[in-house]
Amino acid sequence: MSRPEPVAAAAGLPETGRAGLVVWRDPPAAGPWNMAADEALARAAECRGEVLMRLYGWEPDTVSLGSFQPFADIGRLPELAGWPIVRRPSGGGAIVHGTDLTYCLALPATHAWGRRPEDLYAAVHTAFVEELSHRGVAAAMVNAELATSVPDDGFFCFNRRAFGDVVIPAAVAGAVAGGCKVLGSAQRRLAGVVLQHGSLLLRRHSLLSGAGSHAGLSDIAAGLGGESSEVVAGWLRRLADQLGGPLTEMSGLSWDGNDPELKRRAGRYATDDWLRRR
Amino acid sequence: MSKPRRYAKSHEWARLEDDGTVTVGISAYAIEALTDLVFMQLPDIGTPVTAGESFGEIESVKAVSDLYAPVSGEVVGVNAELPGKLETLGDDPYGSGWVIRIHPTDPAQLEQLLDQAAYDALVGSESH
Repeated sequence: MSRPEPVAAAAGLPETGRAGLVVWRDPPAAGPWNMAADEALARAAECRGEVLMRLYGWEPDTVSLGSFQPFADIGRLPELAGWPIVRRPSGGGAIVHGTDLTYCLALPATHAWGRRPEDLYAAVHTAFVEELSHRGVAAAMVNAELATSVPDDGFFCFNRRAFGDVVIPAAVAGAVAGGCKVLGSAQRRLAGVVLQHGSLLLRRHSLLSGAGSHAGLSDIAAGLGGESSEVVAGWLRRLADQLGGPLTEMSGLSWDGNDPELKRRAGRYATDDWLRRR
Repeated sequence: MSKPRRYAKSHEWARLEDDGTVTVGISAYAIEALTDLVFMQLPDIGTPVTAGESFGEIESVKAVSDLYAPVSGEVVGVNAELPGKLETLGDDPYGSGWVIRIHPTDPAQLEQLLDQAAYDALVGSESH
């Protein structure tokens, strides 16, 4: 796998006429609330015409399913019995949340990065690969050849290797086919806005084994163990640079806990109708 | 000669048929942009749809996209074979890759959609 090209990485992306990145770092929340907050962020991005992002955790630890993953599939995995489950509006495979950092990035569909799915993946993931490279970790994005050469287990996101996923090559991460995936993303594309979810796996979850157990960034690149927050900060700066504007880190929350619309949305994500839609 | 198509900005096409129904599909440009389609969810016959609102969803490897009704009305036909043969969308997007048929409540809504030239211009602007 070739080493990424940090300087030229952004050159292939469409020019963006909008400046900057606005980021919130929200506290951990339950699955339905997180999904509702992401939906609200997407609507805000559409209304404001800005690129908005929120970073968050999960309380309690939760399994999120992709928008169309069959609910029954989770029953095949006894190690997930009893876990809270939520279904995302975005695509992709299941993620066990608890030792990851989740992001939601939303931008207007008319934004240069919103027109084709791969452009937004490339923008977000390239910035992360560059930051890891800057810190001496040889990460790379999955290319088309690797994406088709690694079997797809069909359930967990971090067992899949799709085009653009960020992996740490096997030579660094150990004998893992296709390398260790540490960042994966998936989108929901609406008429006026694109919502991209992603999960940065920080460390292996201690309660899981088997197919659902995946090494995280600090397990693979031990030197980064205490620096993950700096890695994230550098990633955000690079992303803002690619957008051609400042990084604005907001204080407070991205959401208003008393907002009745947000509560309504969270209630919808908690229903069986949504959770078992397929 | 094939009937002219109209297009929504969200990349669905619509064509008024002789029987007064409107056939709806997804433009070749949108199908190509989505790449690697894996799943599609369509409405049942009889479902009411509203212009500009979602009537179904389509999933590619890493993205889920809503499908928007170009006109209001009632779903009177569904291409039920499509979810099992998604490659048809790319192979013949304006023929056997049709998605639904709508009995429109107001056929004049078609006139509010983009004609071929306007849609080509839209695609051209999005491609640059």
